Amino acid sequence: MLEVSALAKSFGSQSVLRDVSLTLPAGEVLAVLGRSGGGKTTLLKIIAGLEAPDAGTLHLAGHDLRPLPPNQRQLVYLYQEPLLFPHLTVFENIAFGLRIRKVANGKITQQVNQLLDELDLREHAQKAPHQLSGGQRQRVSFGRALIIRPRLLLLDEPFGNLDAQTRADMQQLFLRVRQQHQMTAIFVTHDSREALTVGSRFAYLEQGQLTTFASKADFVRDARTNIQQEVRFWESISRTEN
Amino acid sequence: MALDIRRFFSTTLLGGYGLLVLGLPLAGLGYALLGSLGLAGPLAAGFTPRYWLALGANAGLLYSALFSTWVALVSVGVSVALALSLVLRAQPTLRRWPLPGLLYVPLLLPALVLAFCLFQLLSGAGWLARLSYGLEWIGSPADFPELVQDSAGLGIILAQVLLTFPFLTLLLQAIYQESRLDELRQLSSTLGASAGQFRGRVAVPLLLRRAAPTLLLNFIATLGAYDVPLLLGRPHPQMLSVFVATRQQFDLRELPMGYLAGFLVALGLLALIGILIKLTRRHAL
Repeated sequence: MLEVSALAKSFGSQSVLRDVSLTLPAGEVLAVLGRSGGGKTTLLKIIAGLEAPDAGTLHLAGHDLRPLPPNQRQLVYLYQEPLLFPHLTVFENIAFGLRIRKVANGKITQQVNQLLDELDLREHAQKAPHQLSGGQRQRVSFGRALIIRPRLLLLDEPFGNLDAQTRADMQQLFLRVRQQHQMTAIFVTHDSREALTVGSRFAYLEQGQLTTFASKADFVRDARTNIQQEVRFWESISRTEN
Repeated sequence: MALDIRRFFSTTLLGGYGLLVLGLPLAGLGYALLGSLGLAGPLAAGFTPRYWLALGANAGLLYSALFSTWVALVSVGVSVALALSLVLRAQPTLRRWPLPGLLYVPLLLPALVLAFCLFQLLSGAGWLARLSYGLEWIGSPADFPELVQDSAGLGIILAQVLLTFPFLTLLLQAIYQESRLDELRQLSSTLGASAGQFRGRVAVPLLLRRAAPTLLLNFIATLGAYDVPLLLGRPHPQMLSVFVATRQQFDLRELPMGYLAGFLVALGLLALIGILIKLTRRHAL
């Protein structure tokens, strides 16, 4: 469905992405693991249309994305922080994408309420964003993206600012929502455990170069992902305890 | 012991401050009320409602209030429109020297100096009139359009806009950055919003709601402006402060009427401040 080929991007003399290529079939979630400054955000922003590539091609369902401005791509980019509209209630935040498409009021109410139920936010519908917890805000942010049925969801470390428990809850919510909505997504994270939890395909991005893996086992085996090292660490802790 | 002294000082300081910010204005308001009823001031001769009754027959105060409201509404409205268009459409220019520095310059000018400069520039005998006459664009300096001391208050409005819009631009720019509107713009666009929809549904409502208390304070300050309308306004219609001051300073017989006008104006402004406090509490973002 999504085909990225030979993508390159530099800021001044600094090369941020080098010859990045990937293919992502519909309904799959590509988990991209990588350290800070590896080019993950730039990759997502180029796909979203928020940055222009220096070279390379981008095709979604066979159509060239490059001539399309971000508001015509129907690809939602989610930041690390929920970035809710502070002057709108939870209901209106979620309804935003429908209001700008001039959907009828009755239809908006029905669709937003359905999503509020799905995300367990019904009782918070009339609250302002500052009255919500971090996890609730991130759920609203999801709802606001899902309501426009995006062709591709681009998630830039969306749970990075949450505490461990809320983060685990949100990962489960993401899996549930992904299944319900048959979502196609690129999920960028620096946490290998999160990548393994949410992804159905895997890639590693380092210094602007993307490595995609044929299987989860290959991803786990690659030394750069640090997963083997982490497994050994927990095994040694477990042995010490026993 | 030390605690008692500290408590004594803090109570005295708080009491003194309360007296200064509440006591004095309230005392003034009370004195003006008594003066308007013939119970205080140099013309006090015992209780009389005649000045209050005369208010119905004298449209001066009402006319002055309407004129001041017009000037304040247009001045703040034009200033907000200018500041918004700069902040929403000229971000790169606003972040680049010299514009940010230049915006501070009008803030350093006393209102009276700016009013004087505008008078020199725009009056019938001013530089522009002479230049236009010299270039034979007009037959005589008297043909130059009335831009100051005019009936619509154009000169006052221009001066107020020049004083207010740089300040509002700096304020809205600070809110723009603090609210992360650049990121909200990118996010809105991936949700499908055009640039116009982002401005109309996100940026403008957010900026105006956050700036609302300052805008209302600005409106109140313009409503009560004195220096600029004194120099650039006409004897009729007058803005409120000039109207009240004229009655209190130049004709002793008009003093009770001046007290009455002052009392009503202060009451009106207090009501506006009350609304401001309520608005701030209800719509805090």
